[in-house]
Amino acid sequence: MKMHNFSPVDGLLRDNTVLSAGMVISPIIICGNNLQNAVALIYAFSIITLFSVALASFVPQKLPYAAKIIAYAIISSAIFIPVKILTEQIYPQCSESIGIYFPLLAVNSLIVYQTEVRFFKMRKLKMISSLVFYILGFDFVILLVGFIRELLAYGTIYNHVVNMDSIISGIGAPFGGFILLGLLCGIFRKLRTIASSGNDSDSEVK
Amino acid sequence: MLINKAKKERFVWLDITITLAALQLMAYFYYGLHTVVTAFACVAFSFVCEYISVRLSNKKFTADNLTCVSDGLIISLMMPAGIDYKIPVMACIFANVVGKNIFGGRKNIIFSPAAVGYLFALTSWKDKLNMYPLPFARIGIREQAKELAVSASYTFNTTGKLSLSDYDILLGNFCGGVGTVSILLLLISAVILLFRRDISLGAFVGAVAGNVFMSVVCPVTSDISDTLKYVFTTNMTLFATIFIISDIRTTPHKSYYSFYYGLFTALISYALLLTTGIENLSVIIAVLLTPLALALKKLEDKIKYLKSTETIVETVKQNNELSEEIAADISVENDDISEIASDAIKEINEISGNNVSAVSFEAAQIGEGDISENA
Repeated sequence: MKMHNFSPVDGLLRDNTVLSAGMVISPIIICGNNLQNAVALIYAFSIITLFSVALASFVPQKLPYAAKIIAYAIISSAIFIPVKILTEQIYPQCSESIGIYFPLLAVNSLIVYQTEVRFFKMRKLKMISSLVFYILGFDFVILLVGFIRELLAYGTIYNHVVNMDSIISGIGAPFGGFILLGLLCGIFRKLRTIASSGNDSDSEVK
Repeated sequence: MLINKAKKERFVWLDITITLAALQLMAYFYYGLHTVVTAFACVAFSFVCEYISVRLSNKKFTADNLTCVSDGLIISLMMPAGIDYKIPVMACIFANVVGKNIFGGRKNIIFSPAAVGYLFALTSWKDKLNMYPLPFARIGIREQAKELAVSASYTFNTTGKLSLSDYDILLGNFCGGVGTVSILLLLISAVILLFRRDISLGAFVGAVAGNVFMSVVCPVTSDISDTLKYVFTTNMTLFATIFIISDIRTTPHKSYYSFYYGLFTALISYALLLTTGIENLSVIIAVLLTPLALALKKLEDKIKYLKSTETIVETVKQNNELSEEIAADISVENDDISEIASDAIKEINEISGNNVSAVSFEAAQIGEGDISENA
């Protein structure tokens, strides 16, 4: 079997799930308007994705593509049930505000798409480490977005009132999340281009 | 011709800015210096944002980029008098950065930047934006409005009744955005801008037609003329129709297509006004119907392209027919020439054949003479 040369830490920055690939953005835009929601989403997303992909790697690769995807969805749905119950216990207010986006986490692009494209082309250990970095990349972005939106839209940090002079409640709305995420994606890509051009010039000097 | 086309954008900006300045003057007359400072702040921040955005995208800042100034003025005129300065300033920053330059700047404008900025302010500071000081409440630079009231639009939308004299309406003597209530001045501005072709005639007529149609079909008040009067004067309808819906940067180029954009904007705004009673719906719907404007623009381009290809196909057909005719004529001429040539060759051959026989006879005679001489 041909092994592809992916770096495990790519998922954290270079190929960030949200900023680079634009995947799993809907929960961030709709629900990531405060840190509490962000933490609840991090909890649910991390557990569902990690265990789903790990278990899905045992599905025989010889199966037809459609059958494999259905199998992955069934596995992640099975994991979703206990996670949902636990989240309701730990974050009772958040699970309501997250609403429909909660079950949608069970069929996120990391489980449905990236498994076939990336993860299952790696060795098991490398796959797990790469997956962890991908999940951390998502967690970092939703934390950042949740922090900025909560601070600007409500003048609080994790429900603690901060002495903010001006509050822009539009940032808390979905359109505000969309625009903020778009701006972050633009900044990220610009920085990545600068960094990659810097690396290229370094290698040329060497 | 090319120079005129290149200059046109800045001339449009100049005309619009002059009309907006007149509205601003009226606002100063009604509300005092606060409105002037707000306008200056809006213009300054719009200019700075535009300059930075243009420089960051490695483009050259030209006089055409000064359209940001008129966008800033439009935002300041939609605000209530005595509003906290940071609200219009934030709206201007948002309008220029997010509503305009993120989508590619002045050559790729999708939304009216001023409308986007106003919507942002409306969603973020709704309570502050929907409360207005009374006319002639002179507000100083560092002061804020003391007595606030709901706008005439709110009263009209919620109760369906409004008792304003025509004189007050024309002069803008009622609660509303500082520049959106001066109806007489707005009408004059509309006429000037339409004659100068600075705003889209199709969109303007479409919006007016839509509002008139809806006012007649389902009037808000018992009297149709009252409905017509208040529909155009409240909810920033006239202001939005001139400076936002008819903005030539966002509407389709041909009046025929832009008419539908204006018409649908007006129809939907009116329908929502009847059902929800939300204030200033024309501005909101103008932004939300941007996909319609884009679709109409694409349709316009497609039809233009199809027309050009049709003409090309027709010319190619005509050329082919012509070439076929020419080829047929040439072949006929060739046949004629070949017949003439063959006749000529025959004649030449006949003549040359007679000559040859004569020459050969002479040669034979000479040859016989030589032989006998030798013998």
